[in-house]
Amino acid sequence: MAIVVETKATRSAGLTPLPLEQPERPSFADLARIYLDRLYGFCVRLTNHPSDAEDLVQETLLRAMRAYDGLREPTRAKGWLFAIATNAWRDLSRARGREIRTVPIDGPDGNVDEFSLFQTIAIEDPFPYSDELHLDFLRLFRDEDVAAVFGSITPAFRLPLILTVIHGFSCKEAAAMLEVPLGTLLSRLHRGRKQLERGLWDYAVANGLVTTTDEERP
Amino acid sequence: MIDCREAVRRMWSYLDHELAAKPVSEFEAHLETCQRCCGELEFNRHLREIVADDERAPAIPPDLRSRIEILLAGGDDPTGQPT
Repeated sequence: MAIVVETKATRSAGLTPLPLEQPERPSFADLARIYLDRLYGFCVRLTNHPSDAEDLVQETLLRAMRAYDGLREPTRAKGWLFAIATNAWRDLSRARGREIRTVPIDGPDGNVDEFSLFQTIAIEDPFPYSDELHLDFLRLFRDEDVAAVFGSITPAFRLPLILTVIHGFSCKEAAAMLEVPLGTLLSRLHRGRKQLERGLWDYAVANGLVTTTDEERP
Repeated sequence: MIDCREAVRRMWSYLDHELAAKPVSEFEAHLETCQRCCGELEFNRHLREIVADDERAPAIPPDLRSRIEILLAGGDDPTGQPT
């Protein structure tokens, strides 16, 4: 559409002037529709429960709708929505008497921090005739297996993984969203990865996907 | 030259593109001489991919989408709370 600037000529021609072009701010509804699927995916992984995720998506959108005028850069809406969802989940968990934190999150975490899935697979050698031992181990896991293991990671350590690995935020952005120092974020990320590695191995053993050296092989 | 222990420590940050230029070049120089770390990097790359796979994200339920559309259209708060 051509922009008509008001002048004597346009007035005499009866043309109605439009305001000069300005960067268009999307409506909240349009913005929410763009990010809705990703927000739901984030909430499912955060809560680890579909009905909790539904409540959280709705609560997040209500809070975001009220705060939208304060969002200066709509291009950063995804991070803004996820930060609101994270805070809302903390509040909902507290209201239900459940804290997100389930272990002392910056203290030692048993021997999980030292666990190496790569080394464990090499030592246990669950597929003696395989040329791709490590990759064959990962091929054992169906989507629901991965989801079950991922959901078992301590929430405070799972959250940095969700933000960085799944949704592509940088560690710096994730630290800002969670309002923690970068060092704390990196430490939690490390422990989340270690719990993931340990969880995959324990899940494989518990579900009979691999045979360990402790068990008899035929 | 960094050793295997340091290379393993940097591995996930490398995959996350979170390492600065110098640590990256040290890490990559180590990989050129260490087949074991190459194998572990490849393994971690696949491990990262199965977690990051967005296809694993469940689809939003249709009835939730409908409730949200009502909310976005300025209708009632779907949670029943006054807005």
